[in-house]
Amino acid sequence: MALLTVDRLTKRFEGALAVDEVGFSVGEGRCAALLGPNGAGKTTTIRMLTGLLAPTAGTIALEGMKPGQDRREWIGYLPQHPAFYGWMSGHEFLVCAARLCGLSKKEAAERSGELLERVGLGAAGKRRIAGYSGGMKQRLGLAQALIHRPKLLILDEPVSALDPIGRREVMTLLGELKSETTVLFSTHVLPDAEELCDDILVMAAGRLAAGGSLAGIRERNRQPVLSLETEGDARSRAWLAAWLKRLPDGFETASATSTGARLVVRDLEAARRTVLRELADENVRVTKLEVGYTTLEDLFLKAVGSA
Amino acid sequence: MDNLTQSQWISLLVPLLVLQLALMITALVVLVKAERTRGPKWLWAIIIVIVNLLGPIAFFLFGRRAD
Amino acid sequence: MSLSLKMKMKMKMSTGMQKWLVLFRKEWLEIVRSYRILWLPIAFAVLGASQPITSFFMPDILASAGNLPEGTVISIPAPTPPEALAGALSQFGAIGLLLVALSSMGAVSGERTSGTSAMILVKPVPFASFITAKWAALVLLASLSLAAGYGAAWYYTETLFGSVSWRDALPAVLLFALWMSFVGTLTLLFSALLRSAAAAAAAALATAAALSLSASSLPFEQSWNPGRLSALAAGRLVASAASPAGGQTAGDVWLTVAVTAIAMLAALFASARAVRRRPADA
Repeated sequence: MALLTVDRLTKRFEGALAVDEVGFSVGEGRCAALLGPNGAGKTTTIRMLTGLLAPTAGTIALEGMKPGQDRREWIGYLPQHPAFYGWMSGHEFLVCAARLCGLSKKEAAERSGELLERVGLGAAGKRRIAGYSGGMKQRLGLAQALIHRPKLLILDEPVSALDPIGRREVMTLLGELKSETTVLFSTHVLPDAEELCDDILVMAAGRLAAGGSLAGIRERNRQPVLSLETEGDARSRAWLAAWLKRLPDGFETASATSTGARLVVRDLEAARRTVLRELADENVRVTKLEVGYTTLEDLFLKAVGSA
Repeated sequence: MDNLTQSQWISLLVPLLVLQLALMITALVVLVKAERTRGPKWLWAIIIVIVNLLGPIAFFLFGRRAD
Repeated sequence: MSLSLKMKMKMKMSTGMQKWLVLFRKEWLEIVRSYRILWLPIAFAVLGASQPITSFFMPDILASAGNLPEGTVISIPAPTPPEALAGALSQFGAIGLLLVALSSMGAVSGERTSGTSAMILVKPVPFASFITAKWAALVLLASLSLAAGYGAAWYYTETLFGSVSWRDALPAVLLFALWMSFVGTLTLLFSALLRSAAAAAAAALATAAALSLSASSLPFEQSWNPGRLSALAAGRLVASAASPAGGQTAGDVWLTVAVTAIAMLAALFASARAVRRRPADA
C-alpha cells in the first residue's frame, strides 16, 4: 500500500521550472531514495512534501489521513543543513520539538533522552548546541526528525556534508531506522542509495527520469554491455575515437574514455563478432574485452545525461 | 538645588551608576566568554567601557554572533 | 455523542494551548539567554532616571558651561512634576522605541535566514502561534522595560520635583505602553515581510514617525491615528501637550485605542500569513 502519493507536482520559480510534473508513490514501510545530480530539483521536491514550499501545481497525499488533518503530524524531516538555536542545549531542543508535536511533558523528556542516547549524543545533550560540530548537529537533526515517531521520515542529503566516519555512523543509523518507518531520502551518491533502499526515484533537470524498485529497475534495464580497453597508444586512440563516431547499428555508448569504452549492445553475439573483426582488421592493441550487463550506474548516467 | 545635602546627592546618583556598572560588567563577562564576536574583542571592550550605556547595548545588539 | 465531541474539542484546544506555551517559553528563554531581559529594562531605567535628573541640574550645567557674560541671570522655569514625568515619556518615545525596534528586528527574518524557522514550522504547529508567541514575548519584554523606566522616572521626579498622582501617571503609561506595543508589532510585521532585519527596524520606525508626525502637525481630526497615542499619554500628565494642533477632546481616546488594537490584530494576521506563505528561505 502506498503511504505517500505525489501527483504531477510542479514548482515554478520566476519563470524557471524547478520541478516539472513529478509523480511517484512510496509504499508503507519502504525505503526510497530520491537520486539525482545537484540541481535536479530534489530539495525543491522535498520542501514541497514537508510544507515549507507551496507547489505551483500538483497534489501530495498521505494514505490514511483524516480530511483536514495536518500532513506535518506524520512527517519527520531532516533538512540538508539542519539549523538550531545555539543558545539551547540539545536536550532542550528535542523536548521543545517533542512538545510542539503534541507529546506530554513526561513523554517528551523520556523520548528526548532515549533519542539522544540512540544518536550518540547522550553525554553532549546538556551542552549548548552552539558548541556542537557539524556531525553532532546532523545527528541531533536526525533525533528531532524522529521525535514524534513519524510515519514518513524525509531526509535531504543526510550524509553528504559529513566526513567518512560521520557518514558511516549515519548510514548505520539509517539502516536500523528503515525497518521501523517509511523513509524517503535524497542523495546524489548512487552507492548510498543502493546500500539502503528498496526503491529509487531518479530525478534529472526537474523531471522524474526513472523510478521503481531497485530490483525491478535492475531487471528491466538489464542490457548486455561490452567493455573495451586498449593500451592507449596513438594508433588505438585514433581508431577508438573514429570508431565511436561511426558505431554500427545496435551499439550505444554508455561511457567512454580516450583509451576505452563501455558499449550497450542489442544482440550480444552479433556485437561480439563485429567488434572482434574490427579489432583484428585495424590492428588495435586490446588489453581487455569484457562482456557483462548494465549496472545501476549506467542507468543513472543515461537518465541524467539524456534529460 | 542648594537644599540638597551631599548624602542626598549620593543617594540620587548611586542607583543610576550601579545600574550602568551592572550592565557594563555583564557585557564584559559575555564578551570574554564569547567564542566569536563581530569585530575584534579589544575594540568591543573599549566601546563597552568608554561609551556610557549605549556601548554595552550596542555590544548586546550587534557584537554577539548567534550560534 | 455530543459529550465526546466536546471532550475532543477540549483536548484539541489544550494541545493547541500547550504548543503555544512551548513556543512562548522558547521565545522567552531566548530573551533571557541573549541578555535582552537585562539590558532593555536597564536602558529604560537609566533613560527614565536621567531625564528628571538632567532637567533638575540644567541651570547648574548651563552656569558651569561658562561663556556667559558676567551677571547674566539664567531663568529656566523649573518643570512641574508632571512635566518632568512627561519628559521621560518623550525619551522613551525616541530612544526607547529605537531600542525596542532594534531588539526585535530579526524576529522572523533572522530565523528564516538561519534556517531555524524551517525546523520549527515542519512540526505540526499553527503559523499563527509561531507569530503570536513571538508577539507576546516582545510585548511582555517591552512592557517590563517601560515599567522599569517609568518607575525610575517617577521615583526621581518625586524626589526632585514633587509628587504626581497615580490617577494621572497610570493612564499616561498605559497609553504609552499601547503605542510601544504597536511599534513592536510593526517591527514584527516588517520582519515577516522583509528579508533584511535592518530594513524591518527602519520601516517600523519610519511608519511610527510618519503616523506621529501626521497626528501632531496635520490640522484635521485624527482619532483613527495610533500616532496620537504618545501625545495623548503626555496629555494625561500635562494638559497642554494633549493636542498641539487640533483641538481634540478626550472623548475619542477610546476610539484611538480601539483602532490601534484592531491595527495590531491586522498586523499579526498579515505576519502569520507571510510566514505561512514563506516559512523559510530557500
